[in-house]
Amino acid sequence: MASNKDIFKTGLWDNNAGLVQLLGLCPLLAVTGTVINGIGLGIATLVTLVISCGIVSAVRNILRNEIRIPVFVLIIASVVTVIELIMNAWFHELFRILGIFIPLIVTNCAIIGRAESFASKNPVLPSLLDAFAMGLGFLFVLMALGGLRELLGSGTLLANAELMFGAGAASWELSLGDNYQGFLLAILPPGAFFGLGLLLIIKNLIDAKLEQRTNTADLATAVTQ
Amino acid sequence: MSSSNQKITPFHGGLHLDGHKQVSTQTPIASIPVPQYLHIPVPHNSEVTATVGEHVLRGQALTTSSNSMTPAIHASSSGTVRAIEMHAVVNRSGQLLDCISIETDGNDKSIEPLAALKPSADNKQECLDRLRECGIVGLGGAGFPTAIKVATDKSIDTLIINAVECEPYITCDDMLMQEQASRVINGAETLASIVSAKEVLIGIEDNKPEAIKAMQAAASNAERGKIVIVPTIYPSGGEKQLIQLLTGKEVPSGGLPADLGVVCVNTATATASYDALHQGLALTERIITVTGAGVKKPGNYLTRLGTPISKLLDFAETDHKVYQQLRMGGPLMGIPVKDTSSPVVKITNCILAEAAQPQHAEQPCIRCGDCVRVCPAKLLPQQLYWFTRATEFEKAEDHGLFDCIECGCCDYVCPSNIPLVDYYRHAKFEANNIKSERIRSDRARIRFEQREQRLERKAEEKAALRAAKLKKLKEREEAKAAQQEGTQDNKQDEIAAALARVKAKKEKTND
Amino acid sequence: MRQVLYALIPGTLLMSWIFGWGVLTNLILATIFCLGFEILAIKLRQRSVKIALSDYSAVVTAWLLAISLPPMMPWWMLLIGCCFAIIVAKHFYGGIGNNPFNPAMVGYVVLLIAYPLQMTQWLAPSHMVEALPSLANTLGVVFAGADLTIDAVSMATPLDTLKTELGLSKTLGEIRSTALFGTLAGAGWEWIAGLYALGGLYLVYLKIIPWQTPVALIAGMGVMASVFTLAMPDHFAPPTFHIITTGCILGAFFIATDPVSGCSSTKGRVIFAAGVGAIAYIIRGWGGYPDGIAFGVLLMNMAAPLIDHYTVPKAYGQSS
Repeated sequence: MASNKDIFKTGLWDNNAGLVQLLGLCPLLAVTGTVINGIGLGIATLVTLVISCGIVSAVRNILRNEIRIPVFVLIIASVVTVIELIMNAWFHELFRILGIFIPLIVTNCAIIGRAESFASKNPVLPSLLDAFAMGLGFLFVLMALGGLRELLGSGTLLANAELMFGAGAASWELSLGDNYQGFLLAILPPGAFFGLGLLLIIKNLIDAKLEQRTNTADLATAVTQ
Repeated sequence: MSSSNQKITPFHGGLHLDGHKQVSTQTPIASIPVPQYLHIPVPHNSEVTATVGEHVLRGQALTTSSNSMTPAIHASSSGTVRAIEMHAVVNRSGQLLDCISIETDGNDKSIEPLAALKPSADNKQECLDRLRECGIVGLGGAGFPTAIKVATDKSIDTLIINAVECEPYITCDDMLMQEQASRVINGAETLASIVSAKEVLIGIEDNKPEAIKAMQAAASNAERGKIVIVPTIYPSGGEKQLIQLLTGKEVPSGGLPADLGVVCVNTATATASYDALHQGLALTERIITVTGAGVKKPGNYLTRLGTPISKLLDFAETDHKVYQQLRMGGPLMGIPVKDTSSPVVKITNCILAEAAQPQHAEQPCIRCGDCVRVCPAKLLPQQLYWFTRATEFEKAEDHGLFDCIECGCCDYVCPSNIPLVDYYRHAKFEANNIKSERIRSDRARIRFEQREQRLERKAEEKAALRAAKLKKLKEREEAKAAQQEGTQDNKQDEIAAALARVKAKKEKTND
Repeated sequence: MRQVLYALIPGTLLMSWIFGWGVLTNLILATIFCLGFEILAIKLRQRSVKIALSDYSAVVTAWLLAISLPPMMPWWMLLIGCCFAIIVAKHFYGGIGNNPFNPAMVGYVVLLIAYPLQMTQWLAPSHMVEALPSLANTLGVVFAGADLTIDAVSMATPLDTLKTELGLSKTLGEIRSTALFGTLAGAGWEWIAGLYALGGLYLVYLKIIPWQTPVALIAGMGVMASVFTLAMPDHFAPPTFHIITTGCILGAFFIATDPVSGCSSTKGRVIFAAGVGAIAYIIRGWGGYPDGIAFGVLLMNMAAPLIDHYTVPKAYGQSS
């Protein structure tokens, strides 16, 4: 049984849904035109993930193995429907921007993946933690990619923040200035692939550096011993 | 017959190279004295019959082979066998090979020559045996046993004598033709009789006017033998390319020239065949071109097989400080010589001391296609290279890897200095490995399946036996049980009776 | 590849005569940026910089990119284009010899998609304006983002104009009567194309490029254009107009002939180049961008391995 810290680190970094498992690429690539879109979908996914995994974990012992996948899907679909209705009610503008990608959270492999590989085998609390960590990791990737694309593509950051955080957030928008000529490619679908590729490069670079450091540290301890 | 109105069909690709041939054709063929030691490599599949300490004569066979097609090797001078051990030889892998070392006695005594044979269609087998006994192999560079080549049972129309000698620097066949044209023609006649060829074509490159003149003169007296002048394009002396030039036909992929009714033999091989059949002499010497940078007396030298290369270089007064690399063979297909104590062998046509050449580092292939333009086998060398790099050997095979004749044209033109032929050799080796591996694993699989079947059969038999035994046991037990049931009933009766007795007793006492 | 650069010189000189300093600033900046990125990538990959630069491939990429772009590109756009050409299209895939796409065309397409407005605004040729932008003006636009003179002299290319005006249902005759158009194609443009073709023929003569590729590309475009012109002469420009454009000529002689990202056999090269010509024509006629050579090249780059697979020539002895 992994410790809570391990579960958290795995979800956020080591086995990140977006950057390592490369799951849920469809929403990841499609809605990350701006940070706010990314955060919006990220939070929706996070909430879905946590609730679904909690339920899946709770019912794991009364489920017959043969029908578990359809049941998981039903659970996830119900949760997504609830979230969709909530967003439609309270974040209507954002709901309209994210459009089809909210119902499509059902098909996000990251969710069914966690339900199948973790929640269906672990007690409720670790499952909730795992789902939260995974969702948070996914949210960060969506945010990073959204930020990258928004910054390059339209020269702003946190545009339309009021859609999510209320009217007071309208002033959060950062801009590179009116002279910035948007790098349109970043907003277009190919830009999402380039952006994801860049994030992958950065993550692998960091991992390689970390590994190198542990290796040298190991070597150092070995030498001193 | 000596006209040259034969139609020439050009082949794809090829190179126009600087011949450098005049350098070594200025002096007549000279003989190299017999050295003190001769080292004669033992071929594969051969058993050494000579023993250490044995005195041997020139022309005496040193090996025999259970494989009836492996030609013998012979002592190339008289002397004493001093050792049979590993010795440096010239090959691509740089491995040592078993060699028979003979200390010569200076008398150079020969064995009695074998009786002359007049080849005809009737005594073909006898002639083939003679070629093998006398150790005749292709002297152009490949070293393929001549007996196998001419043993074909296909009907042969044309015998082609390969006198092209297309690789730069090499002139041993040129000089042989200039000085001994009639022997070459006789050799061609001899081989043509063995294979019953109707026509003999002798292909010579147009950069050898002297040889052409001599050969035309010699051929004018012969029955068969037509001199065909071919253009000077490397590798027109490749067997397949020469056949295309002279007949316009392509040897089918994976097939032999005999499939087209053609047998193609090198000039010097034809001469050696003549010696073997008509003079009864084994192959113990050959003409070798020694040329290149620092060779003060470049020329052609009649050399005993087994002579160390260093002797040859010394005799040609080579300045060892001048050349950078030694090659056995020409600049394109030759094999680097790493150890000058290595002996000359039957396929040694040239010792080339190459001058210092600017060394260029290998650079990435940019698929420019220059190699495609020059490839005489019409392959896509750059694709073969990529497949080899990607270890996709089977794909390379699909792209005609085994049709590559390793002529080195692609190497020569490659602007990125990629040693392409080395890659192809490696790929061929690996592809063959994969093939033999597959054959092995197929065999293992069949063995395994058969074993499984056998085990299954055995298990079935055992099971049947056990079932029968069980059945018997059951029957017996049932019988026993039936019996026991009878006894048990009795027992219970007895108990009941006893109980009844006790009861009765109790009742009695109570009363 | 130095010969390729020599072959580009006459056309480039005429181009700068007609469009002014902007062509040269493009050329110089692109060369500097491409060389810089090449050195950077080679250093990061720990290879020999000397060997990498000695084949001039980075310079060729820079030149092809620079002359495909409208003159007077701001420096940072050139920087982005060169970065995508050298770093993304070339070194991400393993450096020279391993790039599946033509680096110059990747750089061009990235810029075209990212900055469609700037990428379709060309300077007017010298015969249509009183004076070309001065050197000072040019430097101002390139380095300081100055914008003042540009509106006065910028306009669409003849190809772009043709497409827009055909969209406004004008006839071909009306469109081609303006000063932008010459006898065969765009005024001025046709001479630039001619000089590039001359350079290309020089390369064919030297056997640096195979003659089949340009012939096939021009044929691919010519056949398509002929079919549509014959069907509706008022609505489709004749093949000569389409072929005598710098896009088509540069594509035929200098871009589709890139051996690395193209096909290996002669048959494959013919299919490859004809495909580029045909796709380019389709994009010119019905696509969203004025010229389609770059897209044609990239699309056929993608198809090259497939074409190679089906066009392996018969080796010696395999015909029977």
